[in-house]
Amino acid sequence: MDVTKISREFLDALLSGAAPVPAEGLAALRSHALERANALSVPTTRDEEWRFTDLAPLYRLALKRPLDDVPMPSGEAIAAWIAEEVPTRLVFVDGRFSPALSSALTAGRTPELTVTTLAAAMASADAVVQAHVGKLAGVDDDLFAAVNTAWLRDGVFIRAGRGAAGGTIHCLFLATQADVVQHPRVLVVAEEGAQVALVEDYVSLQEGAYCVNAVVEIAVGANARVRHVKVQRDSAKAFHLATTAVSVQRDGFYGNLAVTFGGRISRNNISIRQDGPGTEFELDGLAFIDGRSVADTHSFVDHAHPHGRSRQLHKCVVAGGAHAVFNGRILVREGAQKTDSTQENRSILLSDKAHVDTKPQLEIFADDVKCAHGATVGQLEAEEVFYLMTRGLSEGTARNLLTYGFAADIVNRIPIASIVKSLAARLLEHTGGQEIA
Amino acid sequence: MSAVLQNLIDQPYKHGFVTDIEADVVAKGLDESVIRLISHKKNEPDWLLEFRLAAYRHWLTMQEPTWPNVKYPAVDFQDISYYSAPKPKKKLASMDEVDPELLRTFEKLGVPMHEQAALAGVAVDVIFDSVSVATTYKKKLADVGVIFCSFSEAVHEHPELVRKYLGTVVPTSDNFYAALNSAVFTDGSFCFIPKGVKCPMELSTYFRINTQESGQFERTLIIAEEGASVSYLEGCTAPRFDTNQLHAAVVELVALDNASIKYSTVQNWYAGDENGVGGIYNFVTKRGLCKGVHSKISWTQVETGSAITWKYPSCVLLGDHSVGEFYSVALTNHMQQADTGTKMVHVGKNTRSTIISKGISAGRSNNSYRGLVKIGPKAEGARNFSQCDSMLIGETCGANTFPYIQVQNNTAKVEHEASTSKIGEDQLFYFASRGIDAEEAVSMIINGFVKDVFTQLPMEFAVEAGRLLGLKLEGSVG
Repeated sequence: MDVTKISREFLDALLSGAAPVPAEGLAALRSHALERANALSVPTTRDEEWRFTDLAPLYRLALKRPLDDVPMPSGEAIAAWIAEEVPTRLVFVDGRFSPALSSALTAGRTPELTVTTLAAAMASADAVVQAHVGKLAGVDDDLFAAVNTAWLRDGVFIRAGRGAAGGTIHCLFLATQADVVQHPRVLVVAEEGAQVALVEDYVSLQEGAYCVNAVVEIAVGANARVRHVKVQRDSAKAFHLATTAVSVQRDGFYGNLAVTFGGRISRNNISIRQDGPGTEFELDGLAFIDGRSVADTHSFVDHAHPHGRSRQLHKCVVAGGAHAVFNGRILVREGAQKTDSTQENRSILLSDKAHVDTKPQLEIFADDVKCAHGATVGQLEAEEVFYLMTRGLSEGTARNLLTYGFAADIVNRIPIASIVKSLAARLLEHTGGQEIA
Repeated sequence: MSAVLQNLIDQPYKHGFVTDIEADVVAKGLDESVIRLISHKKNEPDWLLEFRLAAYRHWLTMQEPTWPNVKYPAVDFQDISYYSAPKPKKKLASMDEVDPELLRTFEKLGVPMHEQAALAGVAVDVIFDSVSVATTYKKKLADVGVIFCSFSEAVHEHPELVRKYLGTVVPTSDNFYAALNSAVFTDGSFCFIPKGVKCPMELSTYFRINTQESGQFERTLIIAEEGASVSYLEGCTAPRFDTNQLHAAVVELVALDNASIKYSTVQNWYAGDENGVGGIYNFVTKRGLCKGVHSKISWTQVETGSAITWKYPSCVLLGDHSVGEFYSVALTNHMQQADTGTKMVHVGKNTRSTIISKGISAGRSNNSYRGLVKIGPKAEGARNFSQCDSMLIGETCGANTFPYIQVQNNTAKVEHEASTSKIGEDQLFYFASRGIDAEEAVSMIINGFVKDVFTQLPMEFAVEAGRLLGLKLEGSVG
């Protein structure tokens, strides 16, 4: 089979109809992205960045644009995914905003906080959107970000003004149609001293194959704090490609917690750039995968200024014939003195068909820094299993309990109780448990 | 950076560069006729010529690798002369004729007097009254059946052994430089330890007395039969003068059941001046095959020279319960670039590997660790531990780590850790308050940093290698 031809056809299908009408918002940005997307070729395992993740199964899919005339799911259908303690909620169905399922938009409610759709913000030519969108997630070398940007019609826009305590915003992206591709887009701008939390949640209401190609851009101002939780629970046949690009200014904080249950292939690119001294980053990740899933996380922490701190913990639990990939790159640029950066990657293989490729990568060009990384791959500790067995647990129960504990460590760090509860239930389902204590 | 230290930085490379090679040289360029000529000049059997030609034909289809984290102007492979008969160096009549700078280096390194003379090229019979030390060693080896000779000699004396093992660990098609080496290698060393023999001495001892010129495309093959063991040291702490800019060596080790091979390298080739002009490109393929059960291969390297180092001594752990080890100190200063590390490929059951890598970067140099730990689907109970530490000296150097970990068996256990540190002003101050000057303090801190690796070196070299690091870093600490 001619791989080049297949991938070219795939890309053409992906881009057909993306060309913007000149009068539409951000037409120039979108035209440029389209141009770049056409110029780039789809990644293959011959590209170092995609060496362990083969997207060939994606290229073989005939993906369409989602249909607009399909009825939206009812409130009951999505009740299980609603986090009741988070009142501000935006729901997108196959990429389309659903005002009925979303909470009332708070746009203009307070001068400090804007939560609205990108379409609405673009229609009113919002200056903040114009200044930030497409600035962090570059389209020049990243095909999927370029495709997303070429399709930029709508999305989430959150602006927390100076000093605002913005609370938590739940963005729920539902997939209801098979064989379609959606391009979710989120822009968060936290101005000086603002605090805001974002929950980015991908859920499927059907079992077919589809593709999510998301781009999230987050600009964290000086002294601002942004927490970002990403939960990815797509269907087992789904393809999930995501680019998260973050910049953090002086003394700002950005925390990212990503939990993925896989899908056929999921790929998360997270890049965080320091735009001023004294910043702090936290990254926690869990890939809990089974079956034929491939979960790939590529993180890039760019320490470009002095006194930056970063901490990263990425865990993988790999069962069945699944394959986890982790590439954690930390760059300490020249002059980024007093950087303190740690990274840990822990992987557990639960079956003899499961495998892991990991590459923690340190690049350091400043001498007065503290950097450490560690990676382990193995199975559950025999001593720990034995200990639980001496307490009367069967071997299977002991293993399940340890696996659950290993994964729940990350899930429990999510600051929203109802999401923790529903994710813990899912972990239990996979580890043979029934009840949450 | 204090003024004293700044002063130290500006010291030039001490050992100069000699260019008095006169030789029987083949015209520059590479094609099949050159390879036939090399083979003919060395009077080689047909199978070896075929081996070379096959490698050359494959090389033509290959691309020069671009993935290493090093930058250098493209090498023109047609601008190299691929054969020059090694001419004996001019012998000096006595130690008085030796360059005093070189003597000072020997003294700093602590090389014993008679070895100093041998290394400096003073005729051996001038130093030793009647019996050459080297001859004594050679007899001792022959008594137990160890074959240790130049590669060309082995091709003629022991063709069956060479033919059986050549290219079995590093196939001619392995990589760009290995293919090139397979096509044009001129000489190297061959070592065979027969069944059950423990080599009666460290081959390093022999080697030091017999420093041979083996050219820029060196080929080494070491075979340890069942139950045999050997320790081999390549290179020397003394600076090596060489006019060839490109070096592409291949080293193959084969360990059969219960055999063990310890291969140590001390490399101190010319690294170019502080602006990165000149210096040697060292593109080496080294690989050991633990073919038998309970076999063991251990690599120890101290890399301090060369403008560019591109080197990944590896172990393929094929036999069940086999063990691979890699201990490395890589030091880069001025404009040096090193991209070095190891590959541990676990194939057999209960195979174990250990990686200890210490990188030191100073000046404007760039030092990368690149390693692969691969656990195959059948490698039950495989175990790896890796530790990669970097030390940065100064604000303009770089230290990178690129560890690839690929695990396909769930009973395996792989651990990797890495850290980065520097020599702090406070540490130097502490030493100063105890009356120890900056230079010595740095030397002590560095020695502590690399201790885990140096304890693996043959004893006399460990001492010298420690001093060598001090010498190389002279003037770069702040």
